[in-house]
Amino acid sequence: MAGKKFRVVVNDDKCYLCGGCAGVCPTLAIEVGASKWRFIQEKCIFCNICVTACPVGALTTVPLEGEE
Amino acid sequence: MSELKYDVVIVGAGIAGPMMARDVAKAGFSVLLVDKKAAIGSPKQCAEGININVFEKYGIPYDKRFVNREIYGARIYSPSGYTAELRYKNVSGVILERKVFDKMLAFYAAREGADVWPRAEAVDVIRENGRVEGLKIKREGELLDVRAKVVVAADGVESTIARKAGINTYAPPHEFDSGYEYEMLIEGFDPDIIHLWFGNEVAPRGYVWVFPKDEDRANVGIGINSDNPKTAKYYLDKWLREHGISTNKILEVNVGLVPVGGFVKELVKDNVMIIGDAARQVNPMHGGGMAEAMKAAAIASKWTVKALEEDNLKLLQNYTEEWWREEGPKMEKLLKLRRVTEKLTDEDLDVFVQILGGTDLEKLAGGKYTEIIKALLKNPKVMFNRRRLSLLKELL
Repeated sequence: MAGKKFRVVVNDDKCYLCGGCAGVCPTLAIEVGASKWRFIQEKCIFCNICVTACPVGALTTVPLEGEE
Repeated sequence: MSELKYDVVIVGAGIAGPMMARDVAKAGFSVLLVDKKAAIGSPKQCAEGININVFEKYGIPYDKRFVNREIYGARIYSPSGYTAELRYKNVSGVILERKVFDKMLAFYAAREGADVWPRAEAVDVIRENGRVEGLKIKREGELLDVRAKVVVAADGVESTIARKAGINTYAPPHEFDSGYEYEMLIEGFDPDIIHLWFGNEVAPRGYVWVFPKDEDRANVGIGINSDNPKTAKYYLDKWLREHGISTNKILEVNVGLVPVGGFVKELVKDNVMIIGDAARQVNPMHGGGMAEAMKAAAIASKWTVKALEEDNLKLLQNYTEEWWREEGPKMEKLLKLRRVTEKLTDEDLDVFVQILGGTDLEKLAGGKYTEIIKALLKNPKVMFNRRRLSLLKELL
C-alpha cells in the first residue's frame, strides 16, 4: 500500500450513505451528509480501510498519476 | 450569521440522543437536538430487536405504533444444522419499528421542552481558547453558530463530532462488523422467536439473523468482520440463495457498520460527552446497541443535570466513572467471550450448539454463562479436546 497514492471514489448507485466509511477512516477524510458523500484528498493516508469495510462494495480507488 | 444559546446541544437523534434530550429538558434546562436526516428514524441501521424490560426501565411508553411484534425467545443454528432454543412463557423482547420509535423518542424530548431540528448537520465544533463552545450547524443551507455549555456527541458509528472535539474514539477496522439487511417477505420460520445462524462460511465472525416483524415479514440480515475482503451483501445473498429464499420480495435495504470490538475509554472531555454507538457502547456478543445507548443516555443525563444545577461542569466526568463502574465489567466480560467465540471452527460450533441444545440457555443470554461453560467442559467432546478445553477455560 505504501507509496501508492489514490483517490477514493463512490458509486452513488450503490452507496446508502450509511456513514460506515467515515466511521472507520482514521483521519476523518470522508464526510457523509444526509444526501452527500465527500472525500477529502489532503487527509487521506491511503490505508484502504474504507474500501474494504463498505458493506456493499460501493467504494473503489483510482490511482493518482503524476501527482505527488 | 445568527447565534443561538442552549444549555445542552446534542448531535444525533437515534436512541441515545433523544433519550438524553428528554431527560435533560425535563429537568428544566434548554436543549437542542439535531439530526442530519430529514426524517428522524429513517433510514434505519438496525435489526430492531430489543429486550422487553427497557420500556419500564427507561420510562418509554409501550406504544403499539412502534412495536411490530412480541418475541418469546431465540433459536440458534450451527453450521451443520444443529439447533438450540430458548423459549420463554412470557414476552421477552420486541421487534420495533425504528422509523416510528426514534421519531417518538424525539417527540417525547420536544414535549419536555427540547428543540428538535431534523435536516440539521453539525459540521464542526466552535473552539475558542482551546475550549469547545458549541457547534457549527448547517440547517437547510444556513450555517448557524450554536453555543452550549455542554456538547453531546450521539452521532452514531461515524463519531465525527467527538473526534472533531479532540476525543480519540478511533477504532481499527477489525473492531467493526459490517452489516447488511433486507426487510422482506419470508416464510417458514417460527415468527414468535428470533433466529440466528452461525458459521465461518455463513457469516465470518458474525451471524445471519431473522427477526420477525409479522408472520411472514422479517428483518433478515448479516454482520461480518469489516476487514473481510468480501462484502456483507455477498454473504447475505449467498445465504438466501442457499436457503432457496427469493430476493424479489424486499421492502427495504439497510446498511451500516457496528462497533463491536471495545468501548471508548474517555467518555467526557471538558464539556463534551459521547454516548451510544459514537462511544462504541454496543453489546459485543450480539452487536445490539439500543439498550446500551439508553443506559449511557440515562447516566449522562443524570450527571449533566447535576453539573448544570450546581454550575460545575467537572461533575460531567462522573458519567465516565459511573459507566465504567456500572457497565464496564459486564461489557468487558462479553468482549472476552466474543474473542473466544471468534476462534471457534465450524466443528466447534456444531459440538457446542449440539450440547447447548440440552442446557439452560437463559443463563447464556443473561451474560451469566459460567454454568453453561461448566456444562460444556463436562462433555466428552470438549473434555478430550485440548483446544476446546483451553478456549473455554479462558472464560472461567
